[in-house]
Amino acid sequence: MGVSETALLSARDLRAERPGDDGPVAVLAGIDLTLNAGDVVELAGPSGAGKTTLLLALARLLPGVTGDLHLVGVAARDIPAARWRTRVALLPQRATLVPGTVATNLRLPWELQVRSQDEAPGDGALRDALTDVGLGGVSLDRDASRLSVGQASRIALLRVLLTQPSVLLLDEPDASLDDASAAQVARKTAAFAAAGGAVLRISHVRADAAACARYRLEHGLLTQVSA
Amino acid sequence: MSADGAIVIGWWELALAMLFVLVTGGLSIAMSLKLEKDLAIATVRTYVQLMALGFVLRWVFANQTWYIVIALMLVMITAAARVVLKRAPDAPPGLFGNAALSMALTGFTVTFAVTALVVRVPTWYEARYVLPIAGMVVGNSMTGIALAVERVFSDMESRRDEMLAMTALGATAWEAARPSVRTALTAGMMPTINSMAAAGVVFIPGMMTGQILAGADPLEATKYQIVVMLMISAATAIGAISAVMLMYRKRFTDEGVYLEKGLRIQGRKPK
Repeated sequence: MGVSETALLSARDLRAERPGDDGPVAVLAGIDLTLNAGDVVELAGPSGAGKTTLLLALARLLPGVTGDLHLVGVAARDIPAARWRTRVALLPQRATLVPGTVATNLRLPWELQVRSQDEAPGDGALRDALTDVGLGGVSLDRDASRLSVGQASRIALLRVLLTQPSVLLLDEPDASLDDASAAQVARKTAAFAAAGGAVLRISHVRADAAACARYRLEHGLLTQVSA
Repeated sequence: MSADGAIVIGWWELALAMLFVLVTGGLSIAMSLKLEKDLAIATVRTYVQLMALGFVLRWVFANQTWYIVIALMLVMITAAARVVLKRAPDAPPGLFGNAALSMALTGFTVTFAVTALVVRVPTWYEARYVLPIAGMVVGNSMTGIALAVERVFSDMESRRDEMLAMTALGATAWEAARPSVRTALTAGMMPTINSMAAAGVVFIPGMMTGQILAGADPLEATKYQIVVMLMISAATAIGAISAVMLMYRKRFTDEGVYLEKGLRIQGRKPK
């Protein structure tokens, strides 16, 4: 951790407020964070401390945030928001799939204007990816509404991973998974980091063995728990 | 009976129609529905508003000028825009201009297209034709536009998780909102389409009924009614599309983030 030449994502003095009973409450009260290539960083903290808010802020999905964000040294203001989100990919806690088949969902990112020049993965690549997270028995033609919560959350993770972002922001990706499925997710995220990406994941249920650093967010401030 | 064969309703007969309201009010009291007060107010408003309209139209027909006709159309459009927003509680504030613009776009284009191209009125601001047609265009399209506007905002709110996932994947505001826009436009257009499909089979449309009661030839009344129904469908489509396309973006920040309820902090403008 720390500023280095391989820093993929850096945040300086991130601040955000939300309305409280007695006026605005600082959810992020000046957060500094750097994610380097190969990092898997775990984020913990009490409910309502602002962990999800921090992930949204890093993905530029939260209005009203102040502070500086850089992606591989380039300031956020110099990168269009939609392009930023293709590089700094957030996986929300509630896995939400769009109506349609598994294949429709996995190829959704390539239906978007921001990737109109890119080629979507073929059926073979999608089947391999499904097998890789223990979903080899799930057909590409299966309707997304017939998936279990655990299956849907892994497909949502795959959908993000297939886009090959630089930074992965995971909001409790294994909250609805059994131990075996959670281990597959941990293996996938570790492989993503090993290939040069960086991962910041909120963990409530299980600690990630591959984590190189653990942070705790409380009262709007980030403290390192262990390296 | 009037000269063209219509049976004229006298003031006494008009007052007699109150009996229907008295019966309904009696039922409301007997069944403790507590509708009698609303019913009484609505009845008084019906008499007062429609009688006032009758006098105004009679005066306008006798003294018509282009600016009086346009001014009356603007009054209709303003009132309709207020109704559209009142029926959309999830809509963000400050949309009156957009609602009025959509109503004006559909009100003026469809009304004058019909009066100029189909009815071929001798004077473009012929009040006897322009005002009733504008009333039907604005009134009927208002219902469809209100439905579409209400639906686009309520549907986006119910899809907020899906839209967050899409935006996180790089979707633009339009790409995230598109399914809600489709749902809203379908909802706005469906009553008009259903009405067109059922006309003449399930019911005799109001305007045609009015013309027949006023002594017009049924076939001539039918021709007018067909024009009116097609005109209303076009007005609803133009109005709903323009209103929804002008308004849905107001729920997103400049960076394409959907402002769900939790993010709509009072007094703070999004970045």
